Parts: sequence; C-alpha cells; structure tokens
Amino acid sequence: MSSHAIETDSDSAWSGGKSPFGVSYGKIFMWFFLVSDALTFSGLLCAYGFMRHRHPEVWPNPGDVFTHFPGYTGHIPLAYVGLMTLILIMSSVTMVLAVEAGHRNDKKKVIIWMLLTIIGGAMFVGSQAWEWYHFIVGTDHGAIRSVFEDGKWVQKTIYGANMTVNEYGLPVFANFFFFITGFHGFHVFSGVIINLVIFINVIQGTYEKRGHYEMVEKVGLYWHFVDLVWVFVFTFFYLL
Amino acid sequence: MSEFHDDYPQYEFMAHHSEEEGKLKRRKLWNVFWIMLGVTIVELIIGFNAKKWGLLHDDRTSSFILKIIFIGLTLLKAFYIVYKFMHLGDERKFMKYSIIGPYTIFIIYLVFIIVVEANYSLIHKDKMDNLIIEQKDRLNKEANEGHHGGEHEGGHEEGEHH
Repeated sequence: MSSHAIETDSDSAWSGGKSPFGVSYGKIFMWFFLVSDALTFSGLLCAYGFMRHRHPEVWPNPGDVFTHFPGYTGHIPLAYVGLMTLILIMSSVTMVLAVEAGHRNDKKKVIIWMLLTIIGGAMFVGSQAWEWYHFIVGTDHGAIRSVFEDGKWVQKTIYGANMTVNEYGLPVFANFFFFITGFHGFHVFSGVIINLVIFINVIQGTYEKRGHYEMVEKVGLYWHFVDLVWVFVFTFFYLL
Repeated sequence: MSEFHDDYPQYEFMAHHSEEEGKLKRRKLWNVFWIMLGVTIVELIIGFNAKKWGLLHDDRTSSFILKIIFIGLTLLKAFYIVYKFMHLGDERKFMKYSIIGPYTIFIIYLVFIIVVEANYSLIHKDKMDNLIIEQKDRLNKEANEGHHGGEHEGGHEEGEHH
C-alpha cells in the first residue's frame, strides 16, 4: 500500500503530481459538502431568527413549550433537550475515538466505539420522535386560538401544534420547529445508516485489507457535523 | 502498482500513529469532551434561571447580553468540534482556509442582510400589520360572499327542477 507522506511546498504543489491540500479527494469533497450543508442550516436558522424578532410579543418561550421528561409528570424546562445534547456530544466523542483507533489499525476498538456511536445516534433520533410527539399532542387544557374554518375565522380550543395551528403561539413557530429539527433529525437518521454501513464493512475487514481506515474518518466528519448543527439548533431554538 | 500510483496526486492516506501517541491523543480528546460538557451545563444553568433572574423580554439590554453569552458559548463549542473532533486544526493551511474562508464570508453576508431586513420590517411593522388585517378582512368578506352565492345558485337549481 502506498501510504507514504510526501513533503510539498507551495511552489511545486500546484504544478501537478501532488495534492496541494495534503488530503484525499474524498475527504476534501466531504468537507465541501459539509460547508454547503452548513450554509443550508444557517439560512434556515437566520430565517427563524428573522421571524422571531418580527413577532417578539406573540412568540412562544421555548422554556414553556418543551417541558416534558420521560417518567416524570411535572414540568422541567430544558432538561430533556439537555439530555439529548449530552447524548449527541457523547456519540461524537465515541466517533472521534473510533477514528483514533483507526489510526492505530486497531480493528477491535474501532468496532466497539462505532457501535456506541450508532447506539447514541439511534437514542437521539428516538428522543426527537418523543419530543415531536409531545409537541403535536400538546397539553391537557389547550389554548383558544382563532382558526380559519369553513370560510370564517372562529375561536376554537386547540391542543398541540401542527403546520396550520399552534397551541403555544404563532403557527410559524411550529412550522420552523418541524422543518429545522426535522431536517436535522433526517441528517442524524441518515448518519446512523451510513455509520451502520461502515460498521459492517469494518467487521468484515474491508478496511483492514485496504490498510487504512479513512472511510471511518470520512463518516466521522459527517457525524461531527450533525453534532455541530445540533449545538446551534439547541442554542437558537431552546436557549434564546 | 507503483507506476500506476505515480500518475496520481499523492497524499498520506491516513495519519498513522503509535500506541503511545494514541494515549496522549485520547487524553486530549477526553479533555475536549469535559470542556464541552462544562460549557453545555453552564448554558443549561443560565437557560434554566434566565426567567427567574429576569433576563428574558423584560429589559432589552439584559436580554441582549444573554444572547451574546449564548452565541459566544455556542461558537466556542463549534470551534472545539471543528478544530479538535473534525481535526481541521491538524490540516494544512490551504485546506483550513478554503473551508473556513468561504463559509465565514457567506455567513457574515447572510447575517448582515437579515439584520438590515429585520430592522426594516420592524420599523414598518404597523404598516405591514394593517396590510395583513386588510387582507384578512377581504378574505373573510370574499368567503362570506362566496358562501351566499353558493346558496343562491342552489336555489336556482331547485327552481329549475320544479
């Protein structure tokens, strides 16, 4: 296997025969893909911020909306999202440890850390589904909102939120919540699937034969990106 | 094999390192984790008590400071993820700046546009809200008229039947 480092300087790097970035094309394009994806999320979060500051007095306080915790009937704000954040950071750490084990060609450790990463990701997706469920079902008492029904605006008691009505405040809050966390959740879900594919390859010894675990590093980049997006979603959706 | 590879741009496929180096690296990674955990807990404590401490909505300055603190802590976490977990800090300068540069330029532009437009939209809020109310009334009216019109037509049909 040709895995030898080659010293490049900027004069000769661009004249051909060498990679000026010093990384494989796969990794470069994973990075470029992540930049474009990050811009998509930035656009969504900026749009969210715009709408939020457009309607400061009717915008629901997220601390009053997401207060449920499994196995506890009372209301504690932020506890569950805090736990979700912890799970995702934790799975990010296990992923980077899998990459580190790959650098040492330690197949056993790669398998253990990748398995933990996949479990963490699956737990996160499940938590998000749980959160969505409680947001859609809403509270027992509901809230009175005006709804456009049969060609008239009528006052009606609303329970929970969907794309057209929202118990907690403006419907656009629910729209942004479903779209941004849904888009992120889809990223997590596809990340788990990709991790699973690579995990199976690791078990089958594909990368051991290849002599390097660069594929683990590439999916690791994607996985850390998912964590990175969640850090921002957590701040802009739940804290601010 | 070697002739084949000579025609292609060459690079190190993966940074290999020994067991001892690995130990040091792992310790550094766990340190990053503890930092990120600490930052998250601080964020949660502030977020949990923001209402109690009167930092939300009441006073513009205090809520502005709160926002700056949260965004600052988030950017700190983002730095640790990108530089330590994604190993961008270990990449070559070219690589680093071709990732961070374009993104930073676009994001500064985007935030600038959003802030300017949000200001405009807030200044002209009354005008815009009136427009929305007018539109709502018109919709209501049209819907009512449409409803009555439907009844009328129904009547005609009945008449024709007889």
